[in-house]
Amino acid sequence: MTHSSRSRLTRRSVLKGGLGLALATTALTALGLPVPARAAGKKVIIGAFADGGLTPFKQKIIPLAKDAGFDIEFLEDEYGVTLEKWFADAKNSAGQYDLYLLDDPWVPQFGAANVLEDLGAAGIDGGDKDWIGSMIDMGYWPPQKGARVKGFETATPTLICVPFVGDLQTLTYRNDVYTSGAPKTWDEVIAKGKEGVAAGKIKYPVVFRGVSGNPIVTSWYPVFLSFGGSFFDDKWNPVFNSAEGKASAEFFVGAMKQNAPSGVVEFDSDQEGAAILGGEAGAIIQYSGNALKADDPAQTKVAGKLDFGVVPKQTSAIAQMGIFIAGIPKSAPNKANSVEFLKWYVSADIQAKLSEAGSIPVKRSAFGIAKPGNRLIPVALQQLDAGALPRPRTPDWAKVEELLGIELNKALQAGSGGGAALDNAAKQVKDYLSSVGYY
Amino acid sequence: MANGGTQSRKYRLQGAGLDLALPYLMLAPGLLIVLGVLVYPLWDGLRASTKVYRYGSVVADVGMQNYIKLWSDPQFLNSLWVTVEFVALSVTFEAILGFALALFCLREFRGIRLLRTILIIPMVITPVVVAIVFRLIYASDAGMLTAISEWMGGGQVQILGSPVKAFIGLVVLDVWEWTPLMFLILLAGLQSLPHEPFEAARVDGAGNWRVFADLTFPMMRPVLAIAIVLRTIDAFGTFDQVFVLTRGGPGEATRLVSIYGYDTAFKFQQTGYAAALFVTIGLVVLALAFSAVRLLRRVDAS
Amino acid sequence: MNSRLARIGVMSAVLAIVLLPIYWLVSTSLKSNREITQEGTLYPHVPTLDNYIRLFTEKQFGAYLTNSLVVTFFSVAVALVAGAMGAYAIARFRLPFAMERKVGLFLLTLRIVPPVVILIPVYLLMLKLGLLDSWLGLIATYTAFNITFCVWMMESFFREIPVDLEEAAMVDGDSRFGAFRRITLPLAAPGLAATAIFAVLVTFNEFLFALALTATPRAMTMPRGTATLIGRIDTDWASMSAAGVIGALPIVFFALLVQRHLVRGLTMGAVK
Repeated sequence: MTHSSRSRLTRRSVLKGGLGLALATTALTALGLPVPARAAGKKVIIGAFADGGLTPFKQKIIPLAKDAGFDIEFLEDEYGVTLEKWFADAKNSAGQYDLYLLDDPWVPQFGAANVLEDLGAAGIDGGDKDWIGSMIDMGYWPPQKGARVKGFETATPTLICVPFVGDLQTLTYRNDVYTSGAPKTWDEVIAKGKEGVAAGKIKYPVVFRGVSGNPIVTSWYPVFLSFGGSFFDDKWNPVFNSAEGKASAEFFVGAMKQNAPSGVVEFDSDQEGAAILGGEAGAIIQYSGNALKADDPAQTKVAGKLDFGVVPKQTSAIAQMGIFIAGIPKSAPNKANSVEFLKWYVSADIQAKLSEAGSIPVKRSAFGIAKPGNRLIPVALQQLDAGALPRPRTPDWAKVEELLGIELNKALQAGSGGGAALDNAAKQVKDYLSSVGYY
Repeated sequence: MANGGTQSRKYRLQGAGLDLALPYLMLAPGLLIVLGVLVYPLWDGLRASTKVYRYGSVVADVGMQNYIKLWSDPQFLNSLWVTVEFVALSVTFEAILGFALALFCLREFRGIRLLRTILIIPMVITPVVVAIVFRLIYASDAGMLTAISEWMGGGQVQILGSPVKAFIGLVVLDVWEWTPLMFLILLAGLQSLPHEPFEAARVDGAGNWRVFADLTFPMMRPVLAIAIVLRTIDAFGTFDQVFVLTRGGPGEATRLVSIYGYDTAFKFQQTGYAAALFVTIGLVVLALAFSAVRLLRRVDAS
Repeated sequence: MNSRLARIGVMSAVLAIVLLPIYWLVSTSLKSNREITQEGTLYPHVPTLDNYIRLFTEKQFGAYLTNSLVVTFFSVAVALVAGAMGAYAIARFRLPFAMERKVGLFLLTLRIVPPVVILIPVYLLMLKLGLLDSWLGLIATYTAFNITFCVWMMESFFREIPVDLEEAAMVDGDSRFGAFRRITLPLAAPGLAATAIFAVLVTFNEFLFALALTATPRAMTMPRGTATLIGRIDTDWASMSAAGVIGALPIVFFALLVQRHLVRGLTMGAVK
C-alpha cells in the first residue's frame, strides 16, 4: 500500500519533473540562453547576403573549415541591406565583420573608400595563373584594365577582393525545340522557337525579366553585349546608345517581347523561372541559381528537356558575369584568421570540393575535376572562354543601373522606342555622373 | 512647538529649496535623454545637409545647394508625389471605412466584442510582418490571389510587377493595417457624444441621414480631423512596409520619400544630399501638422 | 430582420478581410517550399513544423526574441519613469517664460518629425559611443523616442487628477515629490498603463533603427531578424512566413491580453 502509493507519487513527480524540465528547456532554448558550446578555433565572422548560390558553400565547405580549425560565424542578411550595412561597418571601422562576401559591382565603392585590406600584401597571389582571369580582375581597385574613375587614374591597382563563388549567365534551352544543340544566334533562337510554338511544344520562344531596375538591365545586358555594344568610353561618357546598343534595345523591346509571354514587362526571376521550368518557354539567359533547378524533377515539369549552352550571339557571344567576391575590412577584429581562411578556401583542393558540391569555382583547375557537382559547370567554363564581362567598374553602378532600368522598362511597355530610351538614359546617366564629379 | 525648529527646517528644505528646483529636476532626465539621443543627431543631420560626400567622406561644403538641387531632381519630385498620393488615398479610405464601421458598431449587439478584438490585430502586428503577409498574398507564384484564381480556374495574378497594381497593393496594405485605428478612435469619439441632441432629433422625426448630416458629422468633425492629422503624419513616415513589400519598385511606382532618402543615403552614398532631403521632409510634415492644428483651432473658435 | 442580416453580412466581411491574410500566413508557414510554389494549395496538405524548427536551430530566432524583450522592457521602463516626471512637471508647475509649455511643445514637435529623418546621425552617434550592435544603443534610442510621446500622453492624465489631493498630502507633511509619488502616480495608474502598453507596441515593432543599429544576433530584434529572411534573390517563402508568425505572435498575444488599456491608449489624445 505504502509502496504502491509511493511509487505512484514517484511516477507522478517524475512525470511532473520531466514535463517541467521539458518546458524549461524549451523556454530556455527559445530564449537563446544556453548558447551551444562553440568548438574553439580561429574565429572568422563572415557576412553574406541570402542567396541560393551560397548553399553549397554553407553545406559542404563550412564543415570542412571547422575541421581545418576555423570557427566560422556565418551571418546572413537580406541582399537589399547588406551593401549599406557593410559599407557603414567598414567606413566607420565598426569592426563587426571579418569578411564580406560582396556582389562584385560593389567592389569599386569599397575600393574608392579605401576600407578593405590589401590582400596581395597579405600574401594572396593575384598573379596565380589558376585564377579565372576575368574573375580575379574584378578584385583589383583601381581596375588593372579599362577606364578608371577620376581620382584613381594613377593609383596602383591593389588586390582588395578575391573571387569566392563564380557565377555568370548562360543559356538554358529546350533540347526538344532546339534539336541541333544550343542556338548559336538570336535569329535562331527566335526562328526555331517559333517552330516549337507551332508544334505545340512550348508557348513562347523566350522569356526574360522586364521589371525596371536591376532585373531588366540584367536581362538586356547579354543581348547588348552580343550585339557588340559597350557601356562607357574610357572617359566615362555613356556610349551604350551607340548604333549597336540601340539595335540591341530595339531587338529587346521589339522582337524579344513579341516572342515572350505577354506579361513579361512585369516579370521578375520568379516568373521567368516558372516560365522555363514550367515548360512554357523555349530559351532563357540566366544565372546559375535558377539554372540549377533545371535538373531537379521536384522543381520542373520538363526535367531532362533542359540543356545548357553558351549565350547566343549577334556579333559575339558574351554573357554578363556576376560573382561573389570576398573582401576583408581593415577594421576586421580577426584579420589574421580571415586571411588564413581565404588562403585555405582558394586553394585548389578546396575549390575542387566546391565544384564537387555544385558551385561554380573560381580556379580553372577546379572546373576540370572528374565529377563536377553539376553539368552546368563545364558549360560555364565554355562561356568564360567565349566571353563574359563584368559590369562597369564604377562606384556609382547602382544609380546608373537604376536610371537605365527605368527607361528600358518604359520602352518595353510601349513595345518600341528602345533606341530613344537609351538616348534618354544616356543623358540622365551623364547628368548624374557630372553632378558627382566624373568629368 | 517643541519640535518647531526641526519641523520648520524640514519644511524649508523641502518646501522652499528642493521644491523650487523640483520642476527642473523632474524635467531634466527625460529632456537630457531626448537632447542627447534625438536633438544632437538632428543638429548633426542639419550640418551634414550642407555638405557633399563622396565614398563616405565629406569632400565639399556647398551651403544650401543640396536643398536647391532637390527641387530639380525628378526622382525626388516623383517620390514626393508618390508619397502624397499614397497618403491621400490611404488616409481617405481609412477615414471613410473607419467611420462607416464605427457608426455600424455604435449599437451594442452580439459579437461586437469579438469584432473589436479581431480588429486590433492588424494594427498591432509588426509592420515588417504585415508586409510579409501581403507579399504572400500578392506573389504571383506562391500568393493567395494566385491560389484562389487557380482554384477557380484562372491563371496567375500579378500585382507587384506592375507599377499601378503595386501602388494600389500598397494602399490596400495600409488600409488593411490602419483602418482599425481610425475605427477605434472614431468609435470612442462617437461614444463620447452627448445623447440629448440625438433624442431630440428623433422626437422631431429626423431620419437616419438627417441625423448623420446635421448632428453626428458636425459633432464628430474635430475628432475626425485629429484622427486624420495623426494618420497623415504617420503615413508620411511609412518605411518598413514598403521596404519589405516592394523596396520602392517596380521602377519608382511605390518609392516613397522615406525609401528614396534611405537609398540615396545608403545605396547611392550621397549622405549630404539625403540629409537635406530628410530635413526638407521633416519641415514639410511639421508645417502640415501645425497648419492643420491651426486650422482646427480656427474652426473650433468660429 | 433585414438589419440583422446586414449586420451578419458586414461582420463576416470584416472578419474575413482581417483574418484571411493571417490565415494565409499561418497556412503557408506550415507548408514545404515545394508545396508553396508548385502546388498552390489552399491549405497545407502535408503540414510540417520544419520551418519553425529551422528558425530556432539554423537561424537565431531565440536570440532575436531575447533581444526584443530586453530592449523593449528597459526602454519602456526608463521612458515611463523619465516621462512621468516630465509630464507631471509640465502639468503642474508654472515656470518662468512658460518654459514647461515650451518643453512640452518641443517634445511634441519631435514626435511629429518622421524618425527616418535622423537615422543617419543617430547611427553615427552610436558609432562614436561604441554602442552599435548592442542592447544599450537600441535602448537609448528607443527610450528617447518613447519619452517624446510618453510625456505628451501622461501630461493629460495628470491634468485630470485634482490638485487638492496633493495639497492635502503636503499639508500632512509630504514633500511635493512625495505627494507626486504617493498620491498622483497611483491615481494616474490606468493612464500610465495605457501609455506603457502603447510604448511596448511601438518599441517591439520598430524596424528602421534596428536595421541601422544592429548587425548580428547579439542585438538584432525580432522585426530586424525577421527581415533577414525577406530574400529577393531567392525567396524562401516557407521560412519567411514562419518568421512572420513568430515575429508577430508575442506582440499580438500581448495586445489581446491588455486590449482594454490598449484601446484607451490608442484613442486618447484624439478624443479629448
